Amino acid sequence: MLDYIKQWLERRRAGQIGEHDWDNLPTPKSAGDQLLSDSRLIVLDLETTGLNAAKDEVIAIGAVAISGGVIHLDDQFDLILRRPELDISETVLIHGIGPEALTQGHETEDALLYLLEWMNGDPVLAYHSAFDQKFLEKTLKAELGYTQHHLWIDVADLLPAFFPDAKTGGKGLDNWADLFGLEVSERHHAAADALATAELTLVALNKARKEDVKTLKDLNDKLRYHRRLQNMHRF
Amino acid sequence: MASNQDSNRPQNTRAIMSFLREHAPFSSMDDTHLAHFAEHASLRFFADGDVVLSPDDGVVKRFYVVKQGRIRGERHNEKEDRTETTFEISRGECFPLAAMIGERPTRTLHRADGDTFCLSIEQDAFITLFSESDPFRDFCLRGVSSLLDQVNQRIQSNAMASMGSSNSLDTPLERYALRNPIVCSPDLPVRKAVARMHENNVGSIIITDDNRHPTGIFTLRDLRTMIAEEKGPLDTPVRQVMTPDPCRLPADADAFEAAMLMAEHHFAHLCVVDDEQRLIGVVSERDLFALQRVDLVNLARTIGTATHLRTLVSLRSDVSRLVDAMLAHGADSGQVVKIITTLNDVTVRRVLELNLQKNDPGIPFTWLTFGSEGRQEQTLLTDQDNGILFRTPEGMTEDQVREKLLPFAQIVNKELAECGFTLCKGNIMASNPKLCLSNREWDDWFIRFIDASTPQNLVYSSIFLDMRAVFGPTEPLHELLEKVLARIRKNALFQKMLAGNALQRKPPLTMFRNFRYLNDEKKHALDLKRQGLAPFVEAVRVFALANGVETANTLERMEELAKKGVFDPKDANAWKEAYSLIQAIRMRAHQEMLERGEELTNYIDPDDLNPLDRRILRESFRQAQRLQQKLEVTYQL
Repeated sequence: MLDYIKQWLERRRAGQIGEHDWDNLPTPKSAGDQLLSDSRLIVLDLETTGLNAAKDEVIAIGAVAISGGVIHLDDQFDLILRRPELDISETVLIHGIGPEALTQGHETEDALLYLLEWMNGDPVLAYHSAFDQKFLEKTLKAELGYTQHHLWIDVADLLPAFFPDAKTGGKGLDNWADLFGLEVSERHHAAADALATAELTLVALNKARKEDVKTLKDLNDKLRYHRRLQNMHRF
Repeated sequence: MASNQDSNRPQNTRAIMSFLREHAPFSSMDDTHLAHFAEHASLRFFADGDVVLSPDDGVVKRFYVVKQGRIRGERHNEKEDRTETTFEISRGECFPLAAMIGERPTRTLHRADGDTFCLSIEQDAFITLFSESDPFRDFCLRGVSSLLDQVNQRIQSNAMASMGSSNSLDTPLERYALRNPIVCSPDLPVRKAVARMHENNVGSIIITDDNRHPTGIFTLRDLRTMIAEEKGPLDTPVRQVMTPDPCRLPADADAFEAAMLMAEHHFAHLCVVDDEQRLIGVVSERDLFALQRVDLVNLARTIGTATHLRTLVSLRSDVSRLVDAMLAHGADSGQVVKIITTLNDVTVRRVLELNLQKNDPGIPFTWLTFGSEGRQEQTLLTDQDNGILFRTPEGMTEDQVREKLLPFAQIVNKELAECGFTLCKGNIMASNPKLCLSNREWDDWFIRFIDASTPQNLVYSSIFLDMRAVFGPTEPLHELLEKVLARIRKNALFQKMLAGNALQRKPPLTMFRNFRYLNDEKKHALDLKRQGLAPFVEAVRVFALANGVETANTLERMEELAKKGVFDPKDANAWKEAYSLIQAIRMRAHQEMLERGEELTNYIDPDDLNPLDRRILRESFRQAQRLQQKLEVTYQL
């Protein structure tokens, strides 16, 4: 993957535009009987200009892949998009991406096509995934006219489902990271947050194996059951 | 350019590189190699108790670094049918090394100890790094034991910086340029013997019999005495003026043994002999310490012949310089504490001798030392722990003897304090009437102590079980000790109480194997003596007393216990090493405090240590925990 990005960077510097097979973009996979131990899962985190999906934009994408219960660091995605027209003063403090870094980013269209190809239709995990899903789907639709839905799994649901008794003191990524003693190299950097989220996913997958949750479908069912349980408690 | 390159790397690659940079061997590797590792790494999670690597997995194909958490190695002890932890691998450490290099399965089960994340690279990336990075290759080839070597090397090189010499005290004597020794027969006249010495430009001549067995030695010093004291004409046969039965050592003895022997007896020459006691060479103190500024033998001799207390006081700073020198010459901490003890003994003896010359109480006595001095484990920071053992002369009561001995002891204690032996806060000193006792009274004291001890008073009294005679006849002490040891061996309850007492001082590790600090006030202080060494000393003492081991020295006790089969030899070695390393770190701290002109303490802040020493210290403390566990199992505590 790194070589892939390097080649791409070189081509970009040479002024070429990436070539993509527009007609054969990968089709998202559904939650079927594929074994978790064989599946590739994408763990993704976005940095945006704000929290409002209707008007704010994606500026950075960080993602790592889990295959066979292992994070392979040669299979990751770490890009800043080229969006110089955006006003980023509001959130610049949180994620540390200034206007200069933004202009060095990559053509949005090109980057998103690479992302889709790299994701290969595999399930996408994120922390509070509704947020990332909304932003990514909106961007894919606006930039590429791509409207297919990936299978999204919320790691914020995954963890309490497998560790119902954990005393986290909160529902945030930081709470869980603290509970398992993770060190996040640079909080609010898309790739670093994605890696931390992926590490937590490994912990949950380890537990899943021991609870005999074997397939993607088992996992999805378990989450649905957990959500229903949560809703019942609410009333 | 470098920073520019770095910022082109993905965030997570950079983060892994900076993690690696904190740990050996990565800290000395090039960025390109670190990047190669980070880009080819995968990250795995193991929950507490998960098997990470097993002998059943076949040839190992993957090289791991602990990113977070801990891995423990498990070995099955067949004798006791239980699983033992053989090693621990914590954050930043690598495994498996030997199996990876040897392309074989691991021999130890590796299990996660707590939730653990490991970075790993596959064999091909490992081979790339192994062939391209020198520091990485060196590290892998030297293996795990190199950690200990590195510490020892550093201790030596620090001290060496001020010394400029590299002779090692571990060098066998046969390597010390054993010139063909100059010998003569016993009947040769002194004049001819001296002529032969002069021709060969040496200071000594060995007198041998027909079988080349050394029977005596004659040195220039002997010649000086002979002439000064007019002992006879120069035609006297040399056997009449030689020192008979010269000290001898086998060729495989090391320089350290030779130096100790010389210091103890104030010799300048030793005969080196083969298996059949035939002379093969001579070693002089100058051979041993050719480049050394302060030399042990000379210092011991100067102390032993000092005529004034103030001379003794001024010589104490030389002892400290000698410690530097010894460390530089490759002496390990066990050797250095013995040297300090030897010199302290010489000082104590000389203080006693000088006082006897001035004011002899007229009653023979044995001067006893207890605790660390009794165990021959003194460092520069040393308390007085002493007492007196006497035989009551006929017609006197014990109190009458004490009336004469106590004022004498009081002066000696005071003068020892001037020489740098701090007065004992607990008043464990010969001037205390309770510690100036006849053989009968000591025996009674030990009977009461053994039969009626409570766990509380044991804490304060167990140092009396590490006892040694420094001055005066040794036979009374030997008789006393025999009785005491026999009594302890028979008394299982006392042993159990002693064992319980030994478990009072826990090694300073928390449940999570971090350092446990002294208290809130000394937030980051560890007491290397009480928390680090004491658990070893006290646990070993119990085993030694229970198994009739007479020596008081902790390392020697462990050796004896291994010989008797009480300790597994591998365990004994690990414990000896751990004990010595804590001692070494403590002594280095003392030398540094001395350099800064600070008062000596046993406290250190582990944050001041480099990561390597911190790991060593943690591993050493863990060995102390294992030793205490053995005590718990043995005495079912």
